[in-house]
Amino acid sequence: MPEEERRARIVSAVARPGGMTRVDELMQRICRYAVDQMSASACTLALVSGAEPLGLAGAGRHASTITEMQFEFGEGPCLDAYASGEPVLLPDLPVDGAARWPVFTAAAAGSGVGAEFCFPLGVGPHTIGVFDLCRDEPGMLSDDHLAEALAAADIARDAVLYLQESPGHPDVATLLEIVGMDRFVVHQASGMIAAQMNKTPSDGLARLRAAAFESGRSIYDIARDVVERRVRFGE
Amino acid sequence: MSEVSGSLPGRPGSHGEGERGDDVTRRERLLARAFVRLADTLAAEFDVVEFLHGLSVDSVEILRAQAASVMLADARGGLRLVASSEERMRVLELFETQSAQGPCLDAYGSGEAIQASAAECQSRWPEFGPRASEAGFQAVCAVPLRAHADVIGALNLFRGNDERFSDAEMEIARAMAQVATIALLQERALRERSMLTEQLQAALRSRVVIEQAKGMLAEHLSATVDEAFQLLNRYARDNNRKLTDVSRDVVDRKLSHEALAGRRGDEPAAIANAPDVSGPGAATAAASSKRRAGEKTAHGTEEKDGKRPGSQPPS
Repeated sequence: MPEEERRARIVSAVARPGGMTRVDELMQRICRYAVDQMSASACTLALVSGAEPLGLAGAGRHASTITEMQFEFGEGPCLDAYASGEPVLLPDLPVDGAARWPVFTAAAAGSGVGAEFCFPLGVGPHTIGVFDLCRDEPGMLSDDHLAEALAAADIARDAVLYLQESPGHPDVATLLEIVGMDRFVVHQASGMIAAQMNKTPSDGLARLRAAAFESGRSIYDIARDVVERRVRFGE
Repeated sequence: MSEVSGSLPGRPGSHGEGERGDDVTRRERLLARAFVRLADTLAAEFDVVEFLHGLSVDSVEILRAQAASVMLADARGGLRLVASSEERMRVLELFETQSAQGPCLDAYGSGEAIQASAAECQSRWPEFGPRASEAGFQAVCAVPLRAHADVIGALNLFRGNDERFSDAEMEIARAMAQVATIALLQERALRERSMLTEQLQAALRSRVVIEQAKGMLAEHLSATVDEAFQLLNRYARDNNRKLTDVSRDVVDRKLSHEALAGRRGDEPAAIANAPDVSGPGAATAAASSKRRAGEKTAHGTEEKDGKRPGSQPPS
């Protein structure tokens, strides 16, 4: 399935079309969606700062306990995914995790977790949280479920990024459907805006998205204008 | 259009036939060097993006192309540009078009190497074709990066003329793609798909950081993003650091643009004094074009700039 289509489908399932959706509500629905659509027994979205979870949303049998446990123990795949910014995929948690996180793995296996998949919510070098999927049965995610999980993590990240820039936006669904984040020029422009505003590229990206939404133009077109120095974002 | 291989005095009027001998020798040398470089990275800790950038630059030289790119499959379902021999925005955009349509996508989809003439490009890919010719490209080829049964991406080459890639050249392209794939996947035991996903996600993430750093530098130095990339690259090479790590330091503001643009010591180069105050106006364009002119002498640039601090146009 094409990426845009997948994204639009997930957005329509988790955000009220044309309506206001709070970020915590959105997180909750993304977890619900994952449990229903990706054969997960549990799913958690954790927004993280340092080693502390700032906010948690969860759905499924264990809800967010498997994720919380990791922060409590100070070890586990979610923390590693957060620290490295790379996904940590464990098709067979009891086997793959025993040596790396003995305390956590024993506890998780005791709760019946057979496989765990952690996806960082990252923008460049910055990771703002983790999307955590658990399954009872060991085994790798199918290609389709993997694509769903990555897309869901992207949507969660974008929701947090955007809503921090303009909380209470009236049309989150439309906003989240904007794709094209992966074009090089978008990240170059985010870097330029970061320099102009003396902020981080994540902030730059959020500004870019907001500008795209407000003007009705694509984020890509505005990014081009920034890189070609037709538009500046001063403070 | 005539031969593109720049190093050959050749024999005038022989339409390239007589040049083949020299050409092959030269190519063998380049190829040997490229493979040694690939083997080196097998031993050392390596940076995926930098490695693939090297591959695209090498393949341009060896296969007498004008530009090359490497695209990797993203588990989200598309192809992503990870490295290219050229950083000019227009060329990057052309490469990126291929995530939707073009030779790269076809090579990736079929798992087979393909090539097309300028005319074939227009008829096969109605969106990609015109953009390729607009950017000055004609003949094109793409070879898949294959790991066992999986295709993980594609290497893509463009020529500025319409000369077909010979069978030997296609063979070389396939060999380079093959070695690159092995090198790319060796870092972790890549028999498992979960590892492959992690690895490729990491490469894509690196690429984002590099783009962000290019943007920040370009803004601070009133330079183009291409110039910013050259600075990053040079700094990484001079200091024996990974491009991704240097980029991350720039984004995190642990490495200042002054340090990057300056000489290896702490002697500031003129570019470091480039106007922070600049808008998108004349000063920007002047600073930018001056640097571009200097850039042609590769390593001589800094010295040149450094000797002429007074020549920075104030407006």
